[in-house]
Amino acid sequence: MWTPSAESTAQLLFWSGVTVGFYLAAKRLYLRFPRWWLSPLAVTPLLIGTVVLACHASYRDYIGATHWLVLLLGPVTVAFAIPIYDQRNLIRRHWPVLVAGMVMGSATAIGTSWALATVVGLDGPLRLSLLPRSLSTPFAMEVSGEIGGIPDLTAVFVVLTGIAGAALGDVILARLPITTAMARGALFGVGAHGAGTARAHQIGETEGAVAGLVMVLVGLLNVVAAPMVAHLLH
Amino acid sequence: MALLDPTSLELSPRRVAPVRHLARRARHTPLAQAGLVTGFWMAGEALVRAGGIPLPGGIVALVAVLALLASGRLSALTVRRGAHWLLADMLLFFVPAVLAVLEHPELLGLLGLKILFVILASTTAVMVVTALTVDLCSRWRARHVDAIR
Repeated sequence: MWTPSAESTAQLLFWSGVTVGFYLAAKRLYLRFPRWWLSPLAVTPLLIGTVVLACHASYRDYIGATHWLVLLLGPVTVAFAIPIYDQRNLIRRHWPVLVAGMVMGSATAIGTSWALATVVGLDGPLRLSLLPRSLSTPFAMEVSGEIGGIPDLTAVFVVLTGIAGAALGDVILARLPITTAMARGALFGVGAHGAGTARAHQIGETEGAVAGLVMVLVGLLNVVAAPMVAHLLH
Repeated sequence: MALLDPTSLELSPRRVAPVRHLARRARHTPLAQAGLVTGFWMAGEALVRAGGIPLPGGIVALVAVLALLASGRLSALTVRRGAHWLLADMLLFFVPAVLAVLEHPELLGLLGLKILFVILASTTAVMVVTALTVDLCSRWRARHVDAIR
């Protein structure tokens, strides 16, 4: 039987405390100053990373003590059943349009990531890790592992996509002749997962609902299609 | 977080045993509901492992919960608060994975710029294609399908 040493217990408590503490602090900060560059998505990893570096600790020490938090992404996946269930009327009325948007968006994400990565000279697991970065993290990490990428790197790319995507979406909307709320919502949900959905909620009620729903459905679609995509890529 | 709990407003009838009353209230706390969601996840993982299903256990559990909700066997009230709690704090659960960037100092140089370029250009493409597809399709449907009904 595995018995934790005093040192590993101390590490577990310390790094878990640092993670939860800085996460809550970053959330507070954003509530007080809601600027996009102060998003907890960017601030939390920066703060924790600074502490890890300042303590001369390694990522291995850190993730060993906080891996239990990452495991909770499993229950988070199950929790996505609620937004799907709550938006069942939207699905019933508009599913062909939503499916078309998700399929086209996903194909574009995979195709352009692969092509652009190849153009700038990226290959191997790094290039594969870029493909699912538009999805919500639990789905993205799952797909990344399935197609031969590095799930942790994908988590980094998901964060970058979220930070950039919320701002990028505004710029694109201002230049496209988009007239329906559904299209505005789908743009944020498919393009920039949770961060995009938060932005869509600020634009309008329908936009937010569509973004939140489409974010979950496109994640599911990609997880189910991942073995097929992996087969095509290899 | 000022969630108004209707059960906290009403006076509990004296006849209701206090233990039962507490148990009922406890079931509606986000923590207990998140525990229930976690239970569904563990069941999904066990099922996938036992049955050799080529899907993640969380996805199987998600579909199962959705089926239970749709058939009315599970009330959304017994999981909604817990699910929202888990979803709202999702960043906390994946931030340790993001710190993996510390193991890749090479990402801070030219390689990082290349990756950033791919992310920005590809995200722009995804957003443009998705928005145009949904916009065109929903306008087409509004004109043709809804006109027939």
